[in-house]
Amino acid sequence: MKTKITIYLLAIGILISGCSTKSQKENTLNISGAFALYPLTVKWAEEYQKLHPEIRINISAGGAGKGMADVLSGTVDMGMFSREIEPEEIEKGIWWAGLCIDAVIPTISADNPYLDEILQKGITRDQFRMIFVTGSIADWGFLTNEANKGIIEVYTRADACGAAGTWASYLDCRQEDLKGIGIYGDPGLAEAVSKNPNAIAYNNTAYVYDINTGQKRPGIEVVPIDINENGTIDPEENFYGSFHSLLAAVSEEVYPYPPARELYFITKGLPVKKSLLDFIRWTLTDGQKYVSDAGYVPEPGEKIVKYLNKTY
Amino acid sequence: MNRRKIIEQNIFRTLCGIASYSLIFMLGFIILIIFYKGVGSLSLEMVTKPPSGGYYFGGDGGILNAIIGSLYIAIGATLIAIIFGMPAALYINVHLVKRKKLQNAIRYFLDALWGIPSIVYGAFGFTLMLAMGLGASLLAGIITVALLITPIMIRTFDEVLSAIPMGLHEASLALGSTNTQTAFRVMLKQGFSGFITAVLLAFGRGIGDAASVLFTAGYTDLIPRNLDEPAATLPLAIFFQLSSPIPEVQERAYAAATILTIIILIISLTARTFSRKFTRTSIK
Amino acid sequence: MLKTGTVWKQLSSGWMVSSLTVILSIPFLIGVALLIKSTPLFSSQSLWQLIGTSEWAPSEGRFGFLPFIFSSFYVTILSFLFAAPVCLLSAIYLTQFASPRLSTIMHPVIDILAGIPSVIYGVWGILIIVPFISQVAAPLFGTTSPGYSILAGGIVLAVMCIPYMLNMLIETFRTVPVGLREAALSLGATGWESVKHVVIRKSISGIISSFGLGLAKAFGETLAVMMVVGNMVRLDANPFQAGYPLPALIANNYGEMLSIPRYDSALMFAAFLLLVIILIINLVFRYFIYKAQKV
Repeated sequence: MKTKITIYLLAIGILISGCSTKSQKENTLNISGAFALYPLTVKWAEEYQKLHPEIRINISAGGAGKGMADVLSGTVDMGMFSREIEPEEIEKGIWWAGLCIDAVIPTISADNPYLDEILQKGITRDQFRMIFVTGSIADWGFLTNEANKGIIEVYTRADACGAAGTWASYLDCRQEDLKGIGIYGDPGLAEAVSKNPNAIAYNNTAYVYDINTGQKRPGIEVVPIDINENGTIDPEENFYGSFHSLLAAVSEEVYPYPPARELYFITKGLPVKKSLLDFIRWTLTDGQKYVSDAGYVPEPGEKIVKYLNKTY
Repeated sequence: MNRRKIIEQNIFRTLCGIASYSLIFMLGFIILIIFYKGVGSLSLEMVTKPPSGGYYFGGDGGILNAIIGSLYIAIGATLIAIIFGMPAALYINVHLVKRKKLQNAIRYFLDALWGIPSIVYGAFGFTLMLAMGLGASLLAGIITVALLITPIMIRTFDEVLSAIPMGLHEASLALGSTNTQTAFRVMLKQGFSGFITAVLLAFGRGIGDAASVLFTAGYTDLIPRNLDEPAATLPLAIFFQLSSPIPEVQERAYAAATILTIIILIISLTARTFSRKFTRTSIK
Repeated sequence: MLKTGTVWKQLSSGWMVSSLTVILSIPFLIGVALLIKSTPLFSSQSLWQLIGTSEWAPSEGRFGFLPFIFSSFYVTILSFLFAAPVCLLSAIYLTQFASPRLSTIMHPVIDILAGIPSVIYGVWGILIIVPFISQVAAPLFGTTSPGYSILAGGIVLAVMCIPYMLNMLIETFRTVPVGLREAALSLGATGWESVKHVVIRKSISGIISSFGLGLAKAFGETLAVMMVVGNMVRLDANPFQAGYPLPALIANNYGEMLSIPRYDSALMFAAFLLLVIILIINLVFRYFIYKAQKV
């Protein structure tokens, strides 16, 4: 009988000690959200925790939508978000700060039989819309005004993600309006495209370009966007050769916006935790020096000031 | 007449053989692929260190966070499963032995529970978590996984217990013990190997399942210090590494999968040796 | 001595009963909780509209679950058709005809396979099965296929369920007393005949159970299927085209849940549908077992 009582008491004791103390909670930051921001946030967390060892930062990636869902439901302190914030979400009280900029780019296989025409002419926004949304362009022959040259196989993202939302907003629609085979996750999509000569899709820049070499990964090619819609890719529209030139085009806003996009930290209402506010301010200031090496475009100065002001 | 029988026999025997060998071939093929791709990136560092900040860019570190997180969740969930499941299984087989209809009804429900997909438990766990005001945490993960594995444990244990000859049960009662005493002192001992198998099976499931922890346990690169903190799990670690743009990190996902597979292998081998050891001493 | 005995007895049998009740009430709790969370859906569409229509436009508030239910059944039945005969034949071979050494090798192999995380099966599916379908299988049948298809889902699921079904079938066949089989042999039956008439007959309920297990598992599997099935909302009988089973719907769109009104209710309703269908499958299989045992 005595042993039973001691076991029960021990169990209760373990349970109680298992919960955190108030100060531990204050110094713990739980973040979740977009895959696009995940590697950068992890790097930031490492550097920040070196400066402030008493802070613990837990980061998980589950897609931009999951970040939003977790923030709205109070499951995490802050979310990483990779598309524009919708009005309904703002109505629910979302607070945000932009951290850096990257881009979603249209992709095809390097083995596409019409690669040369595509690289020379590019595809306009309207044509993209007809490929991805309405389906009225379904054959690669549209490039040369011929018919039956090969079916265009459209791929999109199955999971609720920022990349799809951003690409869709470029085409004036929503993710669910993008009609194509749904692949889970960005690497899966890049893989599917590189293996199928007839495929077309879209990816985050990080999954197309290798950050170390600055070149496109083998098997995948970028579709130049015919921004001025004149039917060819002019020299000033041709910046897809290296990661560096593409990011420069994004930074100078030559590349359209969307599908270039700002990456955000989101919270429900102005953050209350001091440690969270400190972290956000740090990423907007000292943290910006890690952004380029990670393959993103740093926030322009005026925007940083604007966001810093929001934290007060 | 005889020739026809022999022909039929040979046909089927060959069919069975073909089925088995192609099965073995295919299954072995899958295992080989994983090990082949994973062994290259396997290192002591992977098992002993948590990831560093640049891990998903190809930096150093390992998946210790996920290994420990998974172990915490699996152990916690298994304990809960034992506390609730063991007495339940014993009760069905001892106290309810006269009421066959009730037994069948309960067994039906347990089967139903076993069949519920882990994602439903995940969705339910998420709802529960929100209602309890819990964030994505170790505790939420443990509860959800416990919900998932308790039916497995009960059912496996129940199968073993129901195979125990009634004679033993009746003998115990005849000697004057109560139902409860019979349950714990006789049936449990007799079915102990089955109990261990059940526990190990449940544990193995708890470690490897992804859908249930997807919404509930969160993820982190740190090792959780208490129940409120999110915990990394091996299946999700594999998944996130696979989602990285860098090929070296993707290779590491295979190494993580290899680690998980080895853990499961150890568990199942232990379960099998146990059941063989104890069957020798039990009454047939 | 007697007093502590009774108190302990009350405590522990109380503990046993309450454990049992708690556990048994879980499916009800889950069902009720999911149903409650789905109720906002019913304000705009009736139950029949939800289950029976196929229009899926969440941002316009129209949720037709039929394509998902159809895909789930299609993929599951396909996987069953692939897995069941193979498992049955292999289990027979391993328990009746093969050398014991082969069985001892098989056991760890099966256990490892049962333990491999579903993500890995998904990756294997993408690496091997999807190209196989688009380059080999589809041309063979005269159609084209992107590879990511219901067929891919069916094959991957079949491979995932085989370890479980095989394990259970082997255990079932093992419990048939050797004496029975020997008796059949001594009466002049051939090896195969003794299997056909004795072993299988005796294990019918075990066989049905393992099939039910395989089906339920296939129906609810999430991650691996999601990676190869193509995730397109369609109602198409062509297995070479993509589909979108229920678990994939929940896992994929978990993120959009709170951004689009009533999407979270839709996903909870999908989970509820999953639950109900699995319970019904279980009921059906229990009935078969009951009938088989009567024979």
